Amino acid sequence: MDMKRLHRRHALSLLGGAAAVGATGSAFAQAEPPKPAQLVVNHSGGSMGTAMRKAFFNGFEKKYGIKVVETSPVDFGKLRAMVDSGNVEWDLTEIGGQDAIRAGKANLLEKIDTKVVDRSKYPATAQNPYVFASSVYTTIMGFRNDVFKNGSQPKSWADWWDVKKFPGARSMRNHPTDNLEFALIADGVPKDKLYPIDFDRAFKKLDQIKPHITVWWSTGQQPAQLLLDKEVVLATGWNGRFYDIIKKGAPVGIEWSEGALKQGSFAIPRGAKSPYWANKMLAELAIPQQQAVYASELGYPGLNLESLNFVDPKVKPFLPTAYLDQQFWISDEWYAENGTKAAELWNAWMLKKG
Amino acid sequence: MTGRGFLPALPALILLFVFFLFPVVRMLGFSLEGGTLDWYAKALGEQLYLRVFWNTFEIALLVTFFCLLLGYPLGFLMATTTPFWATVGFIFVLLPLWTSVLVRTYAWMVLLGRNGVFNRTLMEAGITTDPIPMLHNFTGVLIGMVHVLLPYMVLPIYGAVRKVDPAIPAAAAGLGASSFAIFRRIYLPLTLNGIFAGSVLVFVLSLGFFITPALLGGGRVMMIAVLIEQQVREALNWPFAAALSAVLLVFTFAVYAMAQRFTRSEAEAAR
Repeated sequence: MDMKRLHRRHALSLLGGAAAVGATGSAFAQAEPPKPAQLVVNHSGGSMGTAMRKAFFNGFEKKYGIKVVETSPVDFGKLRAMVDSGNVEWDLTEIGGQDAIRAGKANLLEKIDTKVVDRSKYPATAQNPYVFASSVYTTIMGFRNDVFKNGSQPKSWADWWDVKKFPGARSMRNHPTDNLEFALIADGVPKDKLYPIDFDRAFKKLDQIKPHITVWWSTGQQPAQLLLDKEVVLATGWNGRFYDIIKKGAPVGIEWSEGALKQGSFAIPRGAKSPYWANKMLAELAIPQQQAVYASELGYPGLNLESLNFVDPKVKPFLPTAYLDQQFWISDEWYAENGTKAAELWNAWMLKKG
Repeated sequence: MTGRGFLPALPALILLFVFFLFPVVRMLGFSLEGGTLDWYAKALGEQLYLRVFWNTFEIALLVTFFCLLLGYPLGFLMATTTPFWATVGFIFVLLPLWTSVLVRTYAWMVLLGRNGVFNRTLMEAGITTDPIPMLHNFTGVLIGMVHVLLPYMVLPIYGAVRKVDPAIPAAAAGLGASSFAIFRRIYLPLTLNGIFAGSVLVFVLSLGFFITPALLGGGRVMMIAVLIEQQVREALNWPFAAALSAVLLVFTFAVYAMAQRFTRSEAEAAR
């Protein structure tokens, strides 16, 4: 039954896609701006770049005959410098969630052309006029499953704070985002009442866990490595990094409860050389089948909600979109306003002895 | 004469002006954006930033001290031993210098971890029962930074010791001076310039350290470069980042000037 529906959908969307291509081909052939020799896409690099090439860039190159040049890393400061100086090297760049909101407000971005990029299958929260939501990721608990056997791992942030029942070295990110929320949830604040963040309450709760955090991590690969080396037995981290080592056979498990969801974002810098073709690239990123390819590689699904239908059933349990209702969304809007204050309070708290 | 001396240096001077002096002046301009000193007041008035400045200097001083402690004997030995052993010494000093700091930092993570090479060896030999915390703390940062910066101490000291005329210590020994007296009254004053050059290099480089404290300190060891980077890339508060950098620059110059005055008077006293 399910399979049949899936097939029909697949066939329909393929037909739809073909029809759309045909339509744009005939109606807008003259309106299309000339093709540039290359399109520069800036992203975080590493395995993400490899997966993007496989899922999106190769197809784009074949379809339009435009070479995709990849650069990295993602750098908000550099984006601002480029736009300010009028020398914009990127046609499209990945950008952090709250940075994207601020960049849109600071007039650093081009609006997304909704005629080119179809976001009708996207959740309403992912329709920002300047920001394209390319994927979902979540900060969740990773644990050593040779230490926490048969589902005996912590299953909530209250459990995570309970060092008697769940002993062992822990690692959390050296950053206010996620941790403030986790502390409030552990302290009993409901998931939908987190914002605006009560700093005093959050830091008071964080005081309790501080002596038990062996490592405050700063790069995304650290928590996975720390679990592999058994430096710690519990670590918060981004789901794709844990998925990667689990795929390779590491004795590590993921607990999805109360994870902190965020969207990966792409945007077109203001003054980009080929904005039309950057929009075309976003259209490519919005194709559910291609998003499914990307998700299977990295564990970061796209926000075109249809893409889950095209994912291998074995991969589905590792995708955060399969557990949306157990988790909560980090508020990029709140951080865009309060991020600096939060960072200052966080640094001061880290410097406190004890 | 003066014209001939000046002209060949012109390209280098232009390079320095365009790629060094101009950006520094531009940065100072940033810090005064809006014509106020507010960002300086924040950098020097808030406890958080003063604490981090202090931490940074403390770490830089300790790193310089340990580099000197290890680097002087090594540099001395390399300068006075046979050419063969001097070459071996050079290989050991220079090879790490050509390796990326990131690689070396990760190597220390493998060695110092709870289940790292050192702790495992100690526990298997029965010397300790629990792993000694050597990583993700102050100790880890010190070890990593001393390792990265040691060559900058060894090389100037090596150069200074090489310049000492071997006839002088030989004469002193012939006149019955003890080896300690030879070191104290001949080598030490004559190599003071090398010690000074090495110490200033190590100290100044330590002040700007970023990767090593972030990875080996477990997030607990905060240095000013980390905060400046946060302001540049995350908060996008460039005026404040520029003010913090300017304060760091002034402190650095002050230390440099103090050290130079100190070594000059020492050298004169020794003469």
